[in-house]
Amino acid sequence: MTLFRALRRPTAAFGAVVVVIWVACALFAGLLAPYDPLISTTALVEPFSRGPDGKLFLLGTDMLGRDILSRLIFGARTVVLWAGLATATAYVVGIVGGLAAGFYRGAVDQILSFAANVILSFPVLVLYILIIVTLGSSGANIVLAVTFASAPAIFRIVRALAIEIREQDFVNAAITQGEGAIRIMLFDILPNATGPLVVDACLRVGYTAITIGILGFLGLGLPPPTPDWGTMVNEGRAMAMVFPYLVIFPCLAISSLMLGLSLLADGLREASREGSRA
Amino acid sequence: MFNFTTLTGGKPHPEVPALAEQFRGGQIDRREFLRTVAWLGVTAASAAAFAGVAPGAALAEEPKMGGVLRIAVAVQEITDPALVSWVEGSNLLRNVVEFLTKVDADNITHPFLAKSWEPSEDLKVWTFQLQPNVKWSNGDAFTTEDVVFNIKRWTDANSKSSNKSSFAAITSVDVKDTLTFSITLNRAILSIPEMFYAYTCPILHRDFDKVGAPWPKNPVGTGPYALAEYGVGQKAIFKRREGYWGKKPYLDEVRYIDLGSEISAHIAALAAGQVDFIARITANDIELVKKLPKVQLLTAHAASTVCIRMQTDQKPFDDIRVRRAVLLAADNAQMVKLAYRDLGVVGENHHVAPFQPEYFKLPAVARDVAGAKALLAEAGYKDGIDLTLVLGNTQGRWEQDTAQVLQQNCAEAGIRVKLNVLPATEYWPIWNKAPFALTFWVHRPLAVMTLDLAYRSTAAWNEAHFKSPEFDAALDKAMAIVDPKQRALAMQAVEKIVQDAAIMVQPFWADKFTAASTRVQGLRLHPSDYHDLTTVHLA
Amino acid sequence: MTRYAAIKLAEALAVMLAVSFLVYLVLEANARDVAVKVLGQFSTEPQRDLWLAENGYNQPFIVRYLRWLWNFVRGDWGVSSHYREPVAVMLPPRLLRTGILAGLALLVMVPASFVLGILAGMREGTRTDRAISFASVVTTSVPEFASAVFLSAIFVFWLGWLPGASTTPGFAWEEVVLPVLVLALYATGYLARITRASMAEVMMQPYVRTALMKGASPARIVFRHALRNALVAPITVIMLQIPWLLSGVIVVEVYFAYKGFGTLLYEASLNGDVALIEACAMVSVLVIVVTQLASDVLYTLLNPRISFARRPDGAA
Repeated sequence: MTLFRALRRPTAAFGAVVVVIWVACALFAGLLAPYDPLISTTALVEPFSRGPDGKLFLLGTDMLGRDILSRLIFGARTVVLWAGLATATAYVVGIVGGLAAGFYRGAVDQILSFAANVILSFPVLVLYILIIVTLGSSGANIVLAVTFASAPAIFRIVRALAIEIREQDFVNAAITQGEGAIRIMLFDILPNATGPLVVDACLRVGYTAITIGILGFLGLGLPPPTPDWGTMVNEGRAMAMVFPYLVIFPCLAISSLMLGLSLLADGLREASREGSRA
Repeated sequence: MFNFTTLTGGKPHPEVPALAEQFRGGQIDRREFLRTVAWLGVTAASAAAFAGVAPGAALAEEPKMGGVLRIAVAVQEITDPALVSWVEGSNLLRNVVEFLTKVDADNITHPFLAKSWEPSEDLKVWTFQLQPNVKWSNGDAFTTEDVVFNIKRWTDANSKSSNKSSFAAITSVDVKDTLTFSITLNRAILSIPEMFYAYTCPILHRDFDKVGAPWPKNPVGTGPYALAEYGVGQKAIFKRREGYWGKKPYLDEVRYIDLGSEISAHIAALAAGQVDFIARITANDIELVKKLPKVQLLTAHAASTVCIRMQTDQKPFDDIRVRRAVLLAADNAQMVKLAYRDLGVVGENHHVAPFQPEYFKLPAVARDVAGAKALLAEAGYKDGIDLTLVLGNTQGRWEQDTAQVLQQNCAEAGIRVKLNVLPATEYWPIWNKAPFALTFWVHRPLAVMTLDLAYRSTAAWNEAHFKSPEFDAALDKAMAIVDPKQRALAMQAVEKIVQDAAIMVQPFWADKFTAASTRVQGLRLHPSDYHDLTTVHLA
Repeated sequence: MTRYAAIKLAEALAVMLAVSFLVYLVLEANARDVAVKVLGQFSTEPQRDLWLAENGYNQPFIVRYLRWLWNFVRGDWGVSSHYREPVAVMLPPRLLRTGILAGLALLVMVPASFVLGILAGMREGTRTDRAISFASVVTTSVPEFASAVFLSAIFVFWLGWLPGASTTPGFAWEEVVLPVLVLALYATGYLARITRASMAEVMMQPYVRTALMKGASPARIVFRHALRNALVAPITVIMLQIPWLLSGVIVVEVYFAYKGFGTLLYEASLNGDVALIEACAMVSVLVIVVTQLASDVLYTLLNPRISFARRPDGAA
């Protein structure tokens, strides 16, 4: 319901369209991409022009002669897959911890809250760099790093919501009726916390996408030749002044995805606020 | 008959007239002639006169004295100058410590701390005469005692220096007087004078080991500058000192600034006039540098290259069929075209460059993907093979780009290469340990110098673990021949052994580039990246 | 208040203690690895054994940890294996340089975002509001590395107004302009949005509406009534921006070769410089713990309606 109300706002609708386009790119990369993103042809063909073999490159080719459009489309798959997976894992960990802490309170809450405080006292990027440098750069390690760094923030949100909802009559009723703790947490508390969580998730996927980009920029990203937007920026940077399209398109890609998610999140937040006012 | 003058004033080596004949007959080129007679102790002036090279035009006006030259370079830790493993480090040292000889940008060897040298007829005994009146910065006189100390130190049984294998042929060092010494070799080596200019061969004070490493705490030298400040990762400052024995250099001060590993930051600093000279740019930066006002691009062909080598004693590379398959799948021409913007020369997997004097052209080996597949199947990898290539982008991103093209090439033959890209500083500690790795090799004027360091069975830097007595013997033979034509013929066997052993993909010879402000004059890019700042002045 | 502060302080100390244990565990649990990192790959086994014995690495882990902790507290932070310099000597100048960078970024972004946020929040839904809101979403969507590329393309290579990298060992104004701009651009939008939301909420309050209906001028209302309440949230958020800046400076410092804390930490990580990583991690955690503490205190001080005992969770 909130989603439909949100989409009536033009900015939110625009955001949603951008996000849907990138998700579609990720899902159907093989169908949409004009070329194989890993195969070299002619290096540094300018956008909207043809290589010597007559192939048209809409966004040009990079210094290794790979089609930039195809790399952007497959890069969407990299970002959506790893950012999505990493955020989802962080959510599972954060929600389980948050529900437990908010429902049981006491010692469980104190231990979990303390652990969250400890992790949150690292600057995010420092934590990422430490984890990636110690464990090496791979998709799985990025998921691990994001989970580790994001779960505590999600934990805090869920915990706060759980405490609030826990005090409400219908939950108390469920407890007195002798329902199991897990059942109450999953079916009574969690559904009532989804609103704020969805908004947070939109933004968090975006931040994770940017984080993967930053790691790529610092040379700690996914190993080559994985098409990855941040790595594309990093690779094209040396030539950016002469061939600006090398960095402009991937920068636009990552910024547009983030913008889409932010606008969507804004719309959802506003819509749920209006909903609660109504 | 032309009368050649030698550095010692004595009779020229008997090979000199023969070389002169070959040059006249067009069998060797001028460059080759000049280089070879220089090793044999003929003065540059008389060789140039014979070869019809006009003496360098006198400078229109005397260059301006003074000024500070600012260079962007990584300032790393220097412990022992004989163990320096990075050329930039040797360039810092070069301001303070000097070498017995000097090789210029045209690869001609000139006298330096050694005033002259004279080989015996069989090229096994070399007598060097030192420059008189050279004073160390601590006031001591420079004598043969210092030289002997250094040579002994390099060739000592416990020496960790790469000089140990390059000078392994030295059997004795004999001092005649305070300025004359001779070295005796167990085999003939022609390029001895040039080898003394290797960057690990600076001459240290005879008491260096009494104070010991690290060098910045013990910077005694014979050179024109004195170390004023040394901060690893920050800067190094050298100031002109009084009492230098040679020609007074133009610059008052040379300042090295560490700008981190981002080359784009170096270029930006140059564009903004914050530094005058950047030690290195890569092929990817050329277009940008060309567009900058008040910046000059310096280029040179060089025998520097990357070796994507496989350790012959490690699985699965102990099977030569696997190594051959990788070589057959690799498209060297595509690697230079894409990863180095076609600014280099295709390599032939034997580490001898077409522009090196002893090069022998072997028949071309065509790329053969089907052949690679067949070899793999024969070796028991019907469904392809998974390999991990380690690299460190030690010279820039183009190393990774090269690896990515190789990755594509190999994929066609069912060889799935995974790239493990390490930070440069993490790569050097394991460069000779990983079974499959990409290593950058610097230019050396002679191919045999590199081959001697990297592929001899006992060589300290033999990263491919290549052990072949035939190769060692063939190399010895080639190294003893003075006549460049004969030497090239002898190199046929050397090159063939390396190529057939399939120990590496050596895709291309990378041209050198660097950029400097137009204020900087008198600077020539040396193919070895050695900076000779004594001729540099600021406009 | 004292009791509240004491509890907060105790919590912060406990967090620091746990962090120090984690950091030490990750970096030094394997003593042999440390020896390799400090002595280099070319060291021999006997050299490593000797080094381990000399430096007390043969003792049980917990003993080593406690000794390290004690040294750390006393200010003995070990020697960097890459730079061969005492860490405690290296860090302060780097921290100062980063402090200058972050301080200037705050100086730019705080007034800018307050002005923008108040302008937008005063009249929710107007054209100004929508323009500011949209612009701030856009700037927060461009990651630092992208804006660094664009800004240096314009100011360094095209216009030639500013240097593209930091080279002076001291401090130079022209060298910090771009790094500060990149840092501020990203965070200003975020802070402006918080200010706007907070301002909009205050403007909906009955007392403001009453004042408006009574015919008070909007400017007067904003300055006399709304501002104080509207800025409670943003000010606490500024404190929480400091950890974010600490992450942002790594990217910006690496890009512009600015020799601050960020490049030091980045290079230490790449070099496997154990003592330096430990010190950098501890210092950054200390900064965050202190800012969180300050944020808590500020929040309670500025907002008398909140009791000292408890603040809502998830407010950050």
